[in-house]
Order: sequence, then C-alpha cells, then structure tokens
Amino acid sequence: MLLRVVIKRLLAMIPLLLVIATLTFMVIRVVPGGPFDQERNLPPQILANLNAKYHLDKPVLEQYFLYLGRLCHADLGVSYKYVDRTVVDIIKDAFPVSIQLGGAGLLIAVLIGVPLGTIAALRRGTHIDHLAMFVSTMGLSLPLFVVGALLILVFAIWGKALPAALWESPLHAILPALTIAFKPMAYIARLTRASVLEILQKDWVRIARSKGLSESATIIKHVLRNALIPVVTLLGPVSAVMIAGSFVVEIIYAIPGMGRFFVTAVMNRDYDLIMGITLIFSVVLVITNTIVDVLYMILDPRISYE
Amino acid sequence: MKEPQKRFLKQFSRMPMACGSLVFILIISVIAILNSLGINLSPYSFDQTSSDILQSPTFAHPMGTDELGRDLLSRVFFGSQLSIGIGIFTAVMSFLIGTVYGAIAGYCRGKVDAILMRIVDVAYALPDLLVMILIGVMIGRGTLGILLALGLVSWRGTARLVRAQFLQLHQEEFIEAARALGQNHLDIICKHMLPNSLGPVIVAVTFTVPMAILSESTLSFIGLGLSPPACSWGTLASDGWRSLRTTPHLIFFPGIFIFMSVLSFNFLGDGLRDALDPRTKASSKQFF
Repeated sequence: MLLRVVIKRLLAMIPLLLVIATLTFMVIRVVPGGPFDQERNLPPQILANLNAKYHLDKPVLEQYFLYLGRLCHADLGVSYKYVDRTVVDIIKDAFPVSIQLGGAGLLIAVLIGVPLGTIAALRRGTHIDHLAMFVSTMGLSLPLFVVGALLILVFAIWGKALPAALWESPLHAILPALTIAFKPMAYIARLTRASVLEILQKDWVRIARSKGLSESATIIKHVLRNALIPVVTLLGPVSAVMIAGSFVVEIIYAIPGMGRFFVTAVMNRDYDLIMGITLIFSVVLVITNTIVDVLYMILDPRISYE
Repeated sequence: MKEPQKRFLKQFSRMPMACGSLVFILIISVIAILNSLGINLSPYSFDQTSSDILQSPTFAHPMGTDELGRDLLSRVFFGSQLSIGIGIFTAVMSFLIGTVYGAIAGYCRGKVDAILMRIVDVAYALPDLLVMILIGVMIGRGTLGILLALGLVSWRGTARLVRAQFLQLHQEEFIEAARALGQNHLDIICKHMLPNSLGPVIVAVTFTVPMAILSESTLSFIGLGLSPPACSWGTLASDGWRSLRTTPHLIFFPGIFIFMSVLSFNFLGDGLRDALDPRTKASSKQFF
C-alpha cells in the first residue's frame, strides 16, 4: 500500500511539473528585456545572431515546444551569462551546496525546536515557557537578513569566532545554517508545544503516571512519541520555508547555492537557468511532501491515503 | 450597540497584548498618514555638504544618520508609509480576490470547485517568495509591481478559507430556508453566506499584513524588490546591511520597526480570533 501511494504521488508530479514549467515559461517571456540587454554596444547583427543561436527570435509558442522537447531529454539548456556552462552543470555544482545548507539547517531546527517546545509545554506558564515562545516569535517576526546580520555582528565581527562568509569548511557552515534554521525552528517549537500540551491531557498519560512510571519515561515513551507525529508533517512547509530562506542566506554569506543562482538568474533574465532551478525546487518539494506522507502513515497506522 | 459587538469588545479589551498592539499599529499608521500628507514629525534638512554622515545615535539624531547625512528617525517615519501601505494593500487585495474566488468555488461546488481548487494547489506548490519574484519581475520592479506581486500571491489562503466556510454553510438550515423561499443566488451569497463567514476571514487577512511587510523587506534585500529612491523599512534595513561592520545601527533600527509591527499585527490577529470565537483558546497556532 505504501508503495502504491509513493508511485501515485510521483506520477502526479509529472502533470504538476508540466504546469509549473508552462506557467514559469510564459511569465519570464512576458518580462520586458532579454538576456543580452545588458551587454553594451552589441552590433545589431551580433545580437540577431545570438538570438538566432538560442532560438530567441522565434515565436514564444515555438520556443516553448522546443524547450519541452529538450526537457524530455533531460537537457535544461545553457546559461546565457555563465559562459560555457549548461544549466545542468550549474545545478550539479550548486545543488549539493544547498542540500548541505538545508540539511544542516533542518538538523539544527529539529534539535533545538523539539526540546524547546517540549520544555515550554511541560513548564507551561512559567518564565521558561514565555522565554521559549518569545524566541520562537522572534523567529517568525524578524526578516531573515536581520537575523543573519545580528548573528554576523555577534559571532563574526564582535566575537571574531566564526567566519562571516564563503563556503569552505564546516566552520563556515555554522552561521548560515543557524540563520536558515531560525524560522523553521520557531515553527517546530510552536507546534511541538501545542502538540505536547494536547497529549498531556490524554488518559493514557494519566495511566502511565498512575502506574508509577517515572516522569522521564512517561514523557519520552508516551508523550513525545505521540506528540511528534504532527510535527513530522511540518517537514513539507519547512522545506518550502528553507528554499525561500536560501535566497537570502546564500546572498548574505556568499554561498554558491541554488538560491543565489536563482536570484542572479532572474536579474540577468537567464531564461533557461530560471526554468531549471524552478523545476528542481518543485521536484524537491513534491518529494519531501511524499516522504512526509509516507512517514506519517508509518508513524500513525490510523491514517490511510486510499 | 448590539449584544455580540459588546461581547466582542469586552473580550478584546481583556487582552493586554492585543490592545497594546492595536495602539502601536494606530500610532504607526498615524505617522504614516501624516507623512503622506507632507507633515513630518521629525523634520530634517537634507544638506549634501553636511558632515554629519554615518553618525551613531545622539540627541540630535536619535537613530543616527545614514551615508548621505540623513536622519534615520525621519527616514524610518517616512518609510512607514510604504511598509504599512504595502501591508494594508496586500491584505485588501488578498481579501477581495480570495473572497470572490473562494465564494465561487464554495457556492458552485462540484466541477467548478474542483478546477478552481486545483489551480490554487498548483500555486501552492512553490514557495511564496519564488512566485512573488517571478510575478514581480513580470510586472516590473517599481512600487506597483511589488504591490501587485504580493497581492497576487497572498489570496490563495483566503480563497481556501472562504471556500471551506461556504461548504460548511451549505449544510445550515437557514441557507436551505433562504433557497426554499426562492432567493436568488447573489442574495444568498451576499446576505447570508458572506456575513456568516466573515469572522475567520478577517482574522486570516490580519495575518496577511505582517507576511507582506516581511516579504517586501526580503525582496528589497535580495535586490528584487523596491529600490531607491523608494523608501520602506525593507530598503532602509538592506541599505544598513552594507555598512553592518561600521554602523550596525543602520540595520538595527529599521529592523526593530519591522519586528514590532509584524509582532503587533500577529498579536492583533490572535486577539481578534479569540474575541470572535470564544471557543478557541489562545493556542500557539497563530502563525499557521
């Protein structure tokens, strides 16, 4: 049954990707200006040759079908700005960087968010609870670049403990990962708190306590195991938040990841690169959502997707 | 005053955070409106030859000055016009588009509903910020482009909510009665269904304002949003980013204003929800 759900989801991805590809294609072709606008003093003949080379002189509809044809061969086209590099080349370089950044961020978000939310729920109404909720509210109310600026200021400029930019060693990953983790951490802490509070009311928790089980065993075996099921579903929205975060974080820390390439590609009207990265992001989101559903089914046998 | 309104006010006034937030929002809004009328509460003379550039906070300049010697407090007050304006405009657009769209889907049901909601699902498949960037670039990077990009992205949640409310209302007896009495569709929608689904929608729209303020500042920061001479808290903070090393207060103060107003709108939304619907206790689901 699990396999069927997975296959169904992955098959449903194909029409979704087609729609996203179509919409993105149309949106970026409506934009005034083309990829070769910024180069000064291009003689008209050269400009015409360039446009002809990349089929940019053809009608939009014809370009669209040409693109779809290439897409079927896993050919995402070439970048107009990064000379001699295909979109696939760029993504091959940038994708692992973004995955590392996102993975580290997710790890931090879970490792801080879950305990924070649990403690806040167990100590409900105390200063610890208020502090935890204040921190998580900050995560949701501060723009990401201000969070990044504060972290750089404290740890790199004043503390001189960590590097403030580039992507070279694990040490370089600490500040970016903390920055990108801030918002998901806040989501996770809030949901964990709400969920633990709800489970604490359940009869089985009272039974576990009344039969003399130690408090820590009750919390870990009976409360957390059940309370974390809804938290798993956050993985879907969280990965979307991470992608949006990568635009900002990769620019702040000068990290050569997908987010930064996307932003520069949009500025440069680098059509194929915009398309390629958008499609990869969509694939990542569909896959994480499928993983979430499968995990949810494994964790909670009451759920079925048939 | 009618009984429900009285109860609402009583409930609302019991929440110190929500009331404080409302006061803060009103103050900022008054500053923004006064500014747009040409009355600056903290006037400054812009003098290119002034040597007061990049000053730290002093009594003369409570928030310091920027790289052209402009007083940051005045700039922040001036920027409140665009920041708050964008927030409110986005909320209004999200309300209008979302309500109409959701009402059509929820009232027609069946095939129309299925098609309309699939479209919303596709729009939900990508992160908001990515869609905003694409739409913003398509329309153009002026103030209008950003406004429309935020507005065109933010209505999806409202549409879903209105649709869900409508589907629920279909089951109610008074709707059936209205239909049995032969009221036309428009009357049923406007007189019976919309007023009864407005509460949660208003709450959701309140949460759109902080979302828009944050998105605008983020877009401006990555260079795909507003750009000078437009001045919002987002552009001020991203200007401040460039001189983080030497004058951190330039990013700090606009950041504080973004933080405070986002927080205020969130608390306000929380308060409205709790006051409108006494059944829901203050939960921590405010940001979902």
